[in-house]
Amino acid sequence: MVSNLILLVIGLPWIGALFVWWVGDHQPRWQHYLAIGFSVAAGIAALALLPLYSSQPGLILSVGGVFGDFSFVPDGLGVMLAAIATVIGSLAVIFSKDYMHGEAQLGRYYALVLFFIGSMAGLVLTSNLFLMFLFWEITALCSYALISFYNDDPKAVAGGIKALVITQLGGIGLLVAAVLAYSYLGSFDLSVLLKDANRLPANVLGILAFGSLIAAAAKSAQFPFQTWLPDAMEAPTPVSALIHAATMVNAGVYLLARLYPAFESVPFWRDAVMLVGVLSALMAALMALVATDLKRVLAYSTVSQLGYMVYAVGAGGVLASQFHLLSHAIFKALLFLGAGAVIHSVGTRDLRQMGGLKKQLPFVWLVFGVGALALAGLPVLNGFWSKELILEAGLNGGPQWMFGVMVFSAGLTALYTFRCVWLVFYGEPRSHLHAHDAGTAMKAALAPLAVGALLSWLLVGGLSEMLAVTLPYHEIHSLTIGEMALEIFTAPATWIALGVIALGLAAWWWRSRLQLFTEALQGVGRAAEQSFGFEAINRAVLALTAQAAEDLRGLQTGLLNWNILAIVTALAVVIALLALGA
Amino acid sequence: MTFHLLNIAIVVVLSLIGIGLYGLMIARNLIKVVVGLQIATKGAILAFVLAGRLASQVDVGQSLALTVIVADTIVAVVALALAVQVRQKFGTLNIEALKTLRR
Repeated sequence: MVSNLILLVIGLPWIGALFVWWVGDHQPRWQHYLAIGFSVAAGIAALALLPLYSSQPGLILSVGGVFGDFSFVPDGLGVMLAAIATVIGSLAVIFSKDYMHGEAQLGRYYALVLFFIGSMAGLVLTSNLFLMFLFWEITALCSYALISFYNDDPKAVAGGIKALVITQLGGIGLLVAAVLAYSYLGSFDLSVLLKDANRLPANVLGILAFGSLIAAAAKSAQFPFQTWLPDAMEAPTPVSALIHAATMVNAGVYLLARLYPAFESVPFWRDAVMLVGVLSALMAALMALVATDLKRVLAYSTVSQLGYMVYAVGAGGVLASQFHLLSHAIFKALLFLGAGAVIHSVGTRDLRQMGGLKKQLPFVWLVFGVGALALAGLPVLNGFWSKELILEAGLNGGPQWMFGVMVFSAGLTALYTFRCVWLVFYGEPRSHLHAHDAGTAMKAALAPLAVGALLSWLLVGGLSEMLAVTLPYHEIHSLTIGEMALEIFTAPATWIALGVIALGLAAWWWRSRLQLFTEALQGVGRAAEQSFGFEAINRAVLALTAQAAEDLRGLQTGLLNWNILAIVTALAVVIALLALGA
Repeated sequence: MTFHLLNIAIVVVLSLIGIGLYGLMIARNLIKVVVGLQIATKGAILAFVLAGRLASQVDVGQSLALTVIVADTIVAVVALALAVQVRQKFGTLNIEALKTLRR
């Protein structure tokens, strides 16, 4: 039963991808319906898998002696993330029916989206590090191909290549960690790594831990790799919602949370993880404050919220981080799809041209507002509960100044969220835009997400129970809703954070009276617009690599004789070294 | 006696590979390049058999040698076919003419 469900969750989207591609672009209606059918079926299979959680492998594919068994474990982390990937995936596909209506090459689009959904489910369900690396790279490949979907737009192509190159750095980190773990423990199995982590020499464990941190930071667009995510916004909006907000970027946080018990005791690792989270959360929030592109605002906010999750893992709050991951996946998918509806309707992404859209887009205003309130962390939406849990975990498990920065970032979050909502929906229209409200398929995708953003915090009991039972090395205690509410409302962290969030709102409301203050912060704003110099660093590295490659061209003589001479010389050097050394 | 034979085999392997590489280094004619490659590969095949004998896994060494012989034959055939194409396209067999492939 469990094994069949796991196969269905991963296999259905993949089969669907083949079918959609096979049907061909001359039958777009069939492509829409096939994609929706297969993704919804996978979503149902993942939901059916939810109550069947266990810490034992549910499916073992024997592939001979080299890589170990390809085993899949439906534990709490795995089934939750697989459900997020497939359910939000199916909603994004439903949304695409309206959003991508009339686009060319739908087969390529849907095939890649479905391929991604299946791989993402596989990535979180497998317990074999090597297989995990494979799925990890497949998701990166799909992400690249979908960012560059409009491949006659140079910006889209550049954004895709940038995402691919930067996430590859992370892939190398993961591969190094996997190979090292295998060479010392003789197994790619995650449970073996978690159990026998103390058998590893300290320096090897250190390389493993920091390799995983690099992998996670690159995948989750954390400091110092955060620059690829904003440029990934050239992708079609449902793809941004699915891959670059709700699922793939969570893979890094998932990896850190999954391996936390093994690396917990590595010196400086927890501090490094928290620092990465804090820096990402703060810098991205500042950049979101000055961005003028609706989707880029949301992208920066994704980086910032992922920073909160990474920070929570570093502080030891694995449950808090995974709870926020669930909340964030729901409200950020909602915000992105809502933004997609706005963009589809008015035909621009520039915030400066929008304004006063509330009357024309009442439904989108409603659901976007729900998502924005959840993102700002106002009670009683899901973002409030999970963010407060994170702040509380941070106060208990991390230094005070980091807590202070995170609370400040929570205020910034409220500020940029309301700036964004205001610029889109309120005020006077700043240009003549013909807007029409969302279509049926768009509404069908947005409504469940809005309900989820309102109510998903009720799931905390089940989620914590699931994680506590199936993760033997994590020491997670289950938490009922009542306990969570009591804990949150009696914690001073909550009231501090709520106060700062209120300050953030007040700052937007009375922004004209704070003129002096905002002028003083112009410098920070300009630095944020320049992405704090990280784009310049990216360009410098790129230029350096290109120049080095150009310089090395001289070595390529094109003459066989010289090449053979070089080979023979190298061989002689190696033999001489062996003779001398051995 | 075995020791003596072993020495001879090693010398033969090294000289075949050496002659082949030397040929590859100095030959300008594409046919001669193919010939040099073949000589070097023959040395490598002999090295496989020798390694099998030394590791007392004669069967593995010999089956690897057979595999390489098959692959090597295909290499020779394709290389000569390419040489014919190069002669038709460039009008010469001199490999300096192929420098244009660099760009």
